[in-house]
Amino acid sequence: MDKLRYYLSVASYSMKLSMKKQLEYPMEIISCFAMIPMMYATGILLLYFLTQNLKSIGGWTFPQLAFLYGIGDLSHGIMVVFSVQNWFLDRYVNRGEFDRMLLRPLNVFFQFSVSYVNIIGIMDVLVGLSVFIYSCVLVKFSWTFSNIVRLVVIILGAALIRSSIFTIFCSVAFWTKRCSAVTALMNDMLERTTLYPMTIYPRLLQLMLTLIIPVAFISFFSSCCFLGIDSSFRLPADAAVMTPAIGIITFILAQAVFNWGLRNYESSGS
Amino acid sequence: MIVISADQLSKKFTVIRREKGLKGALSSLIHPEKITVNAVDNVSFKIEKGEIVGFIGPNGAGKSTTVKMMTGILHPTSGSVEINGLSPFKDRKKVVRELGVVFGQRTQLYWDLRLGESFELLKRIYQISDSMYKANMKQMDEVLGINEFIHIPVRQLSLGQRMRGELAAAMLHSPPVLFLDEPTIGLDVEGKHSIRKFIREINQRYGTTVILTTHDLDDVEQLCSRLIVINHGRIVEDGPLQDIAERMAPYRFLVLEIASPGIGIRHSLADTVRQNGNQVWLRFRKSEISASRLISDLCYSYPVLDLKIKEPDIEDMIRELYKLNDKTGSGVCN
Ligand SMILES: Nc1ncnc2c1ncn2[C@@H]1O[C@H](COP(=O)(O)OP(=O)(O)OP(=O)(O)O)[C@@H](O)[C@H]1O
Ligand SMILES: [Mg+2]
Repeated sequence: MDKLRYYLSVASYSMKLSMKKQLEYPMEIISCFAMIPMMYATGILLLYFLTQNLKSIGGWTFPQLAFLYGIGDLSHGIMVVFSVQNWFLDRYVNRGEFDRMLLRPLNVFFQFSVSYVNIIGIMDVLVGLSVFIYSCVLVKFSWTFSNIVRLVVIILGAALIRSSIFTIFCSVAFWTKRCSAVTALMNDMLERTTLYPMTIYPRLLQLMLTLIIPVAFISFFSSCCFLGIDSSFRLPADAAVMTPAIGIITFILAQAVFNWGLRNYESSGS
Repeated sequence: MIVISADQLSKKFTVIRREKGLKGALSSLIHPEKITVNAVDNVSFKIEKGEIVGFIGPNGAGKSTTVKMMTGILHPTSGSVEINGLSPFKDRKKVVRELGVVFGQRTQLYWDLRLGESFELLKRIYQISDSMYKANMKQMDEVLGINEFIHIPVRQLSLGQRMRGELAAAMLHSPPVLFLDEPTIGLDVEGKHSIRKFIREINQRYGTTVILTTHDLDDVEQLCSRLIVINHGRIVEDGPLQDIAERMAPYRFLVLEIASPGIGIRHSLADTVRQNGNQVWLRFRKSEISASRLISDLCYSYPVLDLKIKEPDIEDMIRELYKLNDKTGSGVCN
């Protein structure tokens, strides 16, 4: 309990400082704020026009697609706020940033995780939230207490899966000193697989996206669960259990890979 | 009591030599030419509690790498290091709690934050109690004068102010062992003075063990009871400065000014190495004859007008030491 309080006190102060740092350069934040809504607006518009012509994509109607898109978007936004630093792990490596963390009597992965809170990401969350609420109206989502709880744990679990996937793949920077290509690849992959229903892909790929890189748990299974669509997979439990569980498993794995990489950390010259 | 012991400590880095130009880039992509750098090569030493030990050596000698291994930042390729009997890798959290570390060339502070905010964060990380924190901050202000610039973002501090901030940050949790990698780099006379004073004071007051690397021999002369000279990753000398000086440059010089140029000066325990006009240079060993004895002998027999004693120049001595080692060893091999 004391330990938890200790970690919380370091985490909250560290995150507070990170936000303060960014607020010293407000112009950058404002310009990014203007960009993000455009990006998502085009995404959802594309879905709308496609369904106008094709009626459905992979058997999904526009409201259903919007719901899937909403969960994908919102979990992406949360990940971008709390763990976007994974994308830039190579910078931490090359600048010798881990030196400082290694000198502190505190878990390095924890320090890394709380070292940055991305204020710009709040815009991602807001956009994701609006898309999601809009889609909830479209599918006539029933706002019962249990549904809300299920939704919250699913979205948090989904964000955890996203963040862990980046930690795992970007840890390659500990060996190669670079991860920008991996970051771009993963972003692309996640966008293609979480904002559209998986049923549009071949079965083999669906299996891989479920068992190897578990992106199917981010938005696909959760939407199927809520919307009563057959996912053609038999899950052992409700998405409200599966998504957070997979989130925790990938998170543990991510920590192990990160620590393995950290053993190869060579600081930097001088 | 032994605080730090390093045993056959080695660190190898593998670097890929990059060729110039596009063709070179392609060829190093296909078969990269790997070079192994023996940054630290079989280094062993023991450091007692309360010692102030200076690590010196030319650029690229392996000083910072050694410090990084002692502080748990780098894993040794082979060999071991222990701090109070614990390995900085296996028991990292436990060990680093007892350490304060400053890298002069790279800040441990948070670049965009005010100095005081960095301290606040450290207070939480090290779980320093309010009363302890207040007392420590007060003392840091007395010795280092940090309150003057505690509200200024670190990136706006002058180098001297920043370095004082670094020291304060490293000592905030009162660690018994302090590592300083080039703490006086780029500082003016006053800045160096205040840093040295601080180091001496914590060493005397709390018995803090201090390991410092430097290129400034005044640091060594004024602070270090012991010197470890490292070159190409190997230890070439280890001992008190006086002892090393004795061994490396055992001679002192007596320069006499005599009444008339014609007199030939002789003494059985000193060599006359140079005589031009009225000035005579005599070389003698400290261990064979004391300066006062030599002077009184000579003044008794010759018309001496004036005299001065020249100590061996430490800087020359160190330069010799670096050169000596260049011939015998090389840090880079394929
Ligand atoms: N992260 C690294 N990757 C590759 N090589 C490194 C790394 N860090 C240090 N080296 C190499 O190891 C050798 C020793 O470097 P080190 O920084 O320990 O020297 P130093 O004695 O501290 O030098 P200086 O006085 O210039 O600070 C150098 O040849 C350096 O190029
Ligand atoms: Mg160095």
